[in-house]
Amino acid sequence: MPPLVRYARLYVIQAWYAWRSLFGWANPFSYFTSKFGFTFFSMLMFIFLGRFVGLNDPVYIVIGNILLIPAANCLSGISMTVGNERAFGAMSYLLGSPAPRTVIFFGRGLFHILDSFLTVAVGLLVAVSIFGLRFSGMNFPLALLAVLITAFTTSGLGYITGSVSLVNRDGWMITSTLSLSLYILVGANFPVSALPEWVQPVSYALPMTRGIMAARAALDGAGFGEVAGLLAGEVAVGLVYIAVGYWLFRWLERKSLVNGMLDSV
Amino acid sequence: MIARALRLVRQQVRVQFQVRLFNLYSFALYFIQPAIFSLVGMLLSRAAGNPRPDLIYTVIGSGVLGMWSGLVFSSLYDIRADRRDGTLELIVASPTSLGTVEAIRTMANVLTGLVSLLAAFIIAVLVFDYSFAGVNLAAVLVSLLVLLAGLWSLGVFLANFTVWSRLSGSYVEFLEIPVALVCGFMYPIRILPEWMQAVSTIFPIRWALEALDAALTGSHDLARLAECWGLGLLLSFLFWGVTRLLEGRVHDRIRVTGEMRSI
Repeated sequence: MPPLVRYARLYVIQAWYAWRSLFGWANPFSYFTSKFGFTFFSMLMFIFLGRFVGLNDPVYIVIGNILLIPAANCLSGISMTVGNERAFGAMSYLLGSPAPRTVIFFGRGLFHILDSFLTVAVGLLVAVSIFGLRFSGMNFPLALLAVLITAFTTSGLGYITGSVSLVNRDGWMITSTLSLSLYILVGANFPVSALPEWVQPVSYALPMTRGIMAARAALDGAGFGEVAGLLAGEVAVGLVYIAVGYWLFRWLERKSLVNGMLDSV
Repeated sequence: MIARALRLVRQQVRVQFQVRLFNLYSFALYFIQPAIFSLVGMLLSRAAGNPRPDLIYTVIGSGVLGMWSGLVFSSLYDIRADRRDGTLELIVASPTSLGTVEAIRTMANVLTGLVSLLAAFIIAVLVFDYSFAGVNLAAVLVSLLVLLAGLWSLGVFLANFTVWSRLSGSYVEFLEIPVALVCGFMYPIRILPEWMQAVSTIFPIRWALEALDAALTGSHDLARLAECWGLGLLLSFLFWGVTRLLEGRVHDRIRVTGEMRSI
């Protein structure tokens, strides 16, 4: 078998099992509750919070929270998938195998990225139907492109927190805190400009912020030229996070071999 | 007899406090998640052009959310952790019933959750200059006690209800935020659609929160307050009664199947 085909086969097969098993999605009930439970009910909570403070148009919050779905998959999902290697005792076997690390590492994100993209696409269609928004004024394909890019870039956060959870038993707490803070920082519930000025640079240093802005602009009818800068920025930020995540994983692997404590990494 | 019971309570509460204290995830539940929801509320309020957020709901309400989140996770996960750690058999075989152990544990969990409410009050006072002037303090204290009773009854109910399934972790998603949603933790319940208000009437904490809100806004309408307290306590008692029935079923099942880990 040619090496490229072998790598592709390994990439897809282990990506599938990592997505299905390591995130505990072995049955449909777990899948739907873990993906939509907190996200959906939090969105309703924010809609009622908005209504209470005088924001009577829920569309901004609904669209923002749908666009935030990649955080559930690509941040929490990938983080848990990587972290569970250690929790389930599979880390020694993984690091002892001859499989190329790049393929294994990035395989942890493949189906999370695709899954979140499809979920957001369907979610947006449902929201558009429920709120009676007009498709004619939207650039829906461009919005979907923005969503796909956002799902890809958010995986960078997941790779980093996943690697951190290999060395920290409270990694899930870090992931959870980061995931929750996205409700504030990336413009899901209100524009980034509503944040205090000193917080805004933090927002722009995170994946998702520009992607969500681009998707919103596309849903308002913007063309590719108008959001190209935002999409380019989103890709650039995401690549930095993905590179840092991969470097961290390899560094921790080397450290574990020096220490002789494979399962402790 | 009483001394022995008190010793049991003291030991259980001490162990439970230590478990919660050394678990960073509890920190996220009691402080970080409520703070994030509170901040979203404040920033939405700011985006709507309000000069300052509503302190009772946006800040103090988030403290109640922290209490509830901590309780839901601890009640649902305590027995699962016992299964995983192999201590469930020891507890079931001990002379103290599983129900008693769960009741004391839940009490400790509810009391631990008070740190979240306390933190919310401290932030409201220190950061937002919240004043207790005009507050019906006596009614606040009674409402808090009714709230604690309501939380405890729901906690023991959930602990027993979910031992029937190993998917208990998944139920969290349908309990934590949805109950907060319909019971009006962070906004007045009147803004909800009527069917949601109707759903919330079965939860004792909804009535305790209504009384707490009235007391914090200085209400001295004793008839209304007493009605809320009475309904809160009555529903707490009902949840506790159902829990007692469930406890019996759980023990019967253990004896019939002979499988400790099946509960």
